[in-house]
Amino acid sequence: MSLLSVRNLVIDYAKTRALDGADLELAQGETVGLVGESGSGKSTLGSAVGRLLPRSALRTEGEVVLAGEPVFDLPPGRLRHLRKRHLGFVFQDPIASLNPTMRVGAQLRLVLGRGGDVGFHLGRVRLDDARVTRAYPHQLSGGMAQRVAIAMAMATSPELLVADEPTAALDSQVREEVSDMVFSLAAEAGTSILWLSHDLPAVARRCDRVAVMYGGRVVENGPAREVLGNPVHPYTAALAGASPAAAAHGTRLEPVPGRPPVLTGPAPGCAFAPRCPFAVERCEHERPEPVRVRDQHVLCHRAEELADQRVPEVTA
Amino acid sequence: MKLDKLSVGGLGCLVVLVLFALGGLAGLGGDPDAIVGPRLQPPGPGWWLGTDNLGRSVLPRVMEGVGTTLLLSSIAVLLTAALSATFGIIAGYRGGYLNELVMRLVEVLYSFPAIVLAILVAAVLGPGQLAALASIVLVTIPLMTRLVRAAAVAVSQRDYVTSAVISGARLPRVLGRHVLPNVAGTIAVQGTYALSVGIAVEGGLSFLGFGVQPPQASLGVLIQQGGTYMIAAPWLILGPGVVLVVAILAINVVGDGLRDRLEPRETRSLT
Repeated sequence: MSLLSVRNLVIDYAKTRALDGADLELAQGETVGLVGESGSGKSTLGSAVGRLLPRSALRTEGEVVLAGEPVFDLPPGRLRHLRKRHLGFVFQDPIASLNPTMRVGAQLRLVLGRGGDVGFHLGRVRLDDARVTRAYPHQLSGGMAQRVAIAMAMATSPELLVADEPTAALDSQVREEVSDMVFSLAAEAGTSILWLSHDLPAVARRCDRVAVMYGGRVVENGPAREVLGNPVHPYTAALAGASPAAAAHGTRLEPVPGRPPVLTGPAPGCAFAPRCPFAVERCEHERPEPVRVRDQHVLCHRAEELADQRVPEVTA
Repeated sequence: MKLDKLSVGGLGCLVVLVLFALGGLAGLGGDPDAIVGPRLQPPGPGWWLGTDNLGRSVLPRVMEGVGTTLLLSSIAVLLTAALSATFGIIAGYRGGYLNELVMRLVEVLYSFPAIVLAILVAAVLGPGQLAALASIVLVTIPLMTRLVRAAAVAVSQRDYVTSAVISGARLPRVLGRHVLPNVAGTIAVQGTYALSVGIAVEGGLSFLGFGVQPPQASLGVLIQQGGTYMIAAPWLILGPGVVLVVAILAINVVGDGLRDRLEPRETRSLT
């Protein structure tokens, strides 16, 4: 049975639709990279997992099941226990994820409860505990603060860690180190990871599976190597083609033309259709249903045809 | 914590005023109710600030008045701070109908001019110290609650609050350990402004006869009594008047310093 299951989730804000029927499955111990542009809905999906959406967000449809519990239909007490036992979050801005008015040690102790070993947990993220324990968050560097945040999130050995671009605000030097730390700690504790990012190749390198979001839906979802190496959905292919790391020296990077959509209601067809070089009339009017191509689940009317003719031609 | 020179000066003034009031309490200026000499005498030996219309020495009366006014305002402001912090934080954190309820109630209070509200309270409770206290609380509560709420709304969206919620913290801990300390600066700054408003409200209400009742002295009472003899005996109104101005000015200056210190404009970049 899967640890996390998001089914046809639709989240609306006052005038915009953040999620437009997103589906995601995550098995115990699995690491999944959730990739998408700003505004694709990945942060909303991440927050929805813990029912941490702002008050203005409205769940219009769908459900989120975490460890067998329907997250959106739980009474407050059960929700609190669910979060406490099963969830950890790491955020983008490391300094903002620590309370500026409390010393690091006191904050960690608050999470650990009585009898918690602050030194042990700081040691796990390789921080010299005596100095860090007494420090206030503003006295730490971004990398150190993020490691403290990771220690706090992993302190309870949660079953699922949601990491919302935890390395985006860090120096490139410490970026790798922090990512390594998260993945090794998670592997040790048997924690599943949902890693949100807009860096497809970086995510594909570390995660078992990759889910690509576009226009509030997961458009392609499959084993990391397959999604990056043999993308089926034209959007994934375009993303892979726009990555500087993957391009051979001397070749041009191909940008994805156009802008991501801002939805106000359900997309009438495929949200990518206006930017898609393969779009046919059907794509504009009919919402694609997930189809299975090779090992991937893809939301594309022409997935099977395109898979046969080797998609990287998108970039031509 | 460092304050700028002006604020340190203001703080110094306040300390002097408190010492002055404490000195009065210790009887350094003499008995505020004793008749010591002829009526309406200008300052001189035996009555360093002159005598009033009953022949009482003005100095001990001003000392008592400062004490009464400061004590009354301080208690009222502490009450305001406690109530505003509670309602502002809950409204800001929970939002929804609770927020609407608190904000609409506060706006009703806010729509009354301060002194009109104070007179209304005095009319209901009857003139006296309690009326002055309640008036100050009701006059200062709207602004502070609104600002605490605004600060709490911002703090509630911070990642560390979300982290605390995920880690299974109950509401009292989230509010007490994470939200309250981070809006404490706002409460402190607004507290100083509320204190100066409180002193002004007490002065106004007592001046009109609805606040502190003679023979007990407060700055408002003294100014009211002195006003009658402003031409014949200007020292009667000068002493308490100057003290009132100094107190309010000093408190506002300290408040400005605190605000600059505790609520710096956030220019820090993300990384």
